[in-house]
Amino acid sequence: MMVHNVCMVSDFFFPNTGGVESHIYQLSQCLLQRGHKVVIITHAYGRRTGVRYLTNNLKVYYLPLMVAYNQCILPTLFPTLPIIRYILLREGITIVHGHSAFSALAHEAMFHACTMGINTVFTDHSLFGFADASSIITNKILKFSLADVQNVICVSHTSKENTVLRAALAPHKVYVIPNAVDSAVFTPDPSQRRSDRTTVVVMSRLVYRKGIDLLAGIIPVLCASHPDVHFLIGGDGPKRILLEEVREQYQLHDRVQLLGSVSHEDVRDVLVQGDIFLNTSLTEAFCIAIVEAESCGLQVVSTRIGGVPEVLPDQLIYLAEPSVKSLLNALKNAAEDKRRGRIISPRERHERISAMYTWQDVARRTETVYDATAELPSSTLADRIHRYSHSGSGWVLFVLLLVIVNYLFWKLLEILVPRKKIELVPTQITKSSQREAT
Amino acid sequence: MPWRKVLYEDQGYPDNYVDSSFLEQLQKNLNTRSYDYWNTVYESGAVTDHISATCLFVVTFVYLESGVLSPKLLILLTVASCFLGYIAYAACAVHLGETVHKSHLHVWIVIRTAVVFLLFTFSLSPILYTLTESVSTDTIYAMTVFMFAGNILVFDYGTTAAIVSESMSFNLAMFGSMCLASRLTTVLHTFSIVSFAVEVFALWPELRRKVNATHRGCKMGVSCGSVLVSVSALWSVSTVAAVLLGMVHFVVTFLCPRWLIQLQPYKNNIQGPWDEVSIVEKMEVRM
Repeated sequence: MMVHNVCMVSDFFFPNTGGVESHIYQLSQCLLQRGHKVVIITHAYGRRTGVRYLTNNLKVYYLPLMVAYNQCILPTLFPTLPIIRYILLREGITIVHGHSAFSALAHEAMFHACTMGINTVFTDHSLFGFADASSIITNKILKFSLADVQNVICVSHTSKENTVLRAALAPHKVYVIPNAVDSAVFTPDPSQRRSDRTTVVVMSRLVYRKGIDLLAGIIPVLCASHPDVHFLIGGDGPKRILLEEVREQYQLHDRVQLLGSVSHEDVRDVLVQGDIFLNTSLTEAFCIAIVEAESCGLQVVSTRIGGVPEVLPDQLIYLAEPSVKSLLNALKNAAEDKRRGRIISPRERHERISAMYTWQDVARRTETVYDATAELPSSTLADRIHRYSHSGSGWVLFVLLLVIVNYLFWKLLEILVPRKKIELVPTQITKSSQREAT
Repeated sequence: MPWRKVLYEDQGYPDNYVDSSFLEQLQKNLNTRSYDYWNTVYESGAVTDHISATCLFVVTFVYLESGVLSPKLLILLTVASCFLGYIAYAACAVHLGETVHKSHLHVWIVIRTAVVFLLFTFSLSPILYTLTESVSTDTIYAMTVFMFAGNILVFDYGTTAAIVSESMSFNLAMFGSMCLASRLTTVLHTFSIVSFAVEVFALWPELRRKVNATHRGCKMGVSCGSVLVSVSALWSVSTVAAVLLGMVHFVVTFLCPRWLIQLQPYKNNIQGPWDEVSIVEKMEVRM
């Protein structure tokens, strides 16, 4: 078995909460259990700077870099080389794994790793369009950044197609490994449900791309046609005003409850109060929310967009077109099935999801990607120049300049801060370093 | 077992397996329209109209400054053409089947608005007159050129591009005319040019839109007429400028449509299941 020394890099990590953050954390924990070494690099969060240790001695480097926008660092490229080089050499890293296309730190770390001859893997968590200005710029950056990456992981087949088109990658370089859910946390509890009503739970940020406009169209109609339906909406955002207006206009104060922002540890307690989970997103690469809801035993109604049709089998989900009419139909079917008792029990849903999506499985599949990555030769400077100069883009000269300057800077650092002087971190023997049976 | 595009079960294929159905749902250039050359030439009349109007305005300013045109005459012409324009507008509206009687186009409302506007402008003219007095003439002319160029750039020609901004184009035009107004000698001059500017940049485009909507032939007539008027007006001021204007009109009318059509094969719009769904037309529901 190949033991890898992996360095996960992303701007998004604890104490920030979100999909990417928990993905990195859970994956790292499972890889540690499988006997690999995992280290995480992220930027400092407020006063949380320096080296911290999380559960199972998971080491996290909180680098003192300036946060510019949306929890991302200011992309400066060259100044991060000394510290990242030092960390990678000290920890003896063999693979650098970057997360999220939005993370400037991930792109920079992968760029430096490539300069140093360390192989890289990238995981893409989101879908992008091609038409608007921000997408065009991000895709351009992604194309150059992923030209050097050995392997890419996407969370769904739709995401794979999207990433292959955006970054002009060879499809066999892209692996599809879905997200997973911690089923020990998301357990069902039917006793929390009210038997006199049908509770529809919505748990998302209240923004346009989560389809809150569709929700605002659904609420009055459903409340009028089904007197026992109540809505429990968790999350906050700019579209909250819209929902409050709808509630006000149709006098539904006793039937629509807006909880505001729900912290990560309370999500499960809100979910178990519901009978039906409603997801109205307009675009999703994977949609972990529906899997969490399924794990808590709720019936799931969702829009048929992005990667959602791939996530759950037809018996476990009611899919609808992203329109008010279609979603209402699906909700009515779900409510009808519940009334008739024609539903799969919460316990059984939980069992099925626990078998489908586990972090241990994700870690095993990621390990396969690492094995494949380690066997590939690392690119030399000549390789990179050759590859870039044949990409046929107007930005080639600029990118080549960055590559060469970074290389020279690295060589300078090799002289100024020689490797022999860098103290290596001693290898720790953890308690559970046995490899799990595949 | 054939491969299915699902994530919930292990199908026995490696994670980087590329099926023959890969990118099957990709659609290219779904919503593109094909352009017909002469239709595009016809539609480009909107741009030539506006350029002609701007040039006409500048020529009027030149005459006003040199003293050939007296401000009183200009005010008279402005009011008369406004009156005629209103009649034409109402006639076109009736022809198109819209109600004039109770709407904002009603005679008394229009007269009241016009009177209020004229009074306000007249009272503000002394201030406008001295607004950019301290700026040097060269700067004024440069600023005016930029303002009018900006106006032509962001003017609403009937499309819904992101760059279009009706209010911004009008603001730029007014600021341009303000710059020019400061070079004039008396307050009455200022008042006349500002009123004329409002007529040319705010009222004339409205009338143009109405007339063009009425009849297809009208649009061509209006475009040809405005080109002739502007080129001949400019000719009396400066032959070189008139020739340049003629060339600009030629390029915009005949060469730009050819260029647009030549660029169409390079279009590469990609659509697929990863796109964010647009819900504009999906919000309606039967109660």
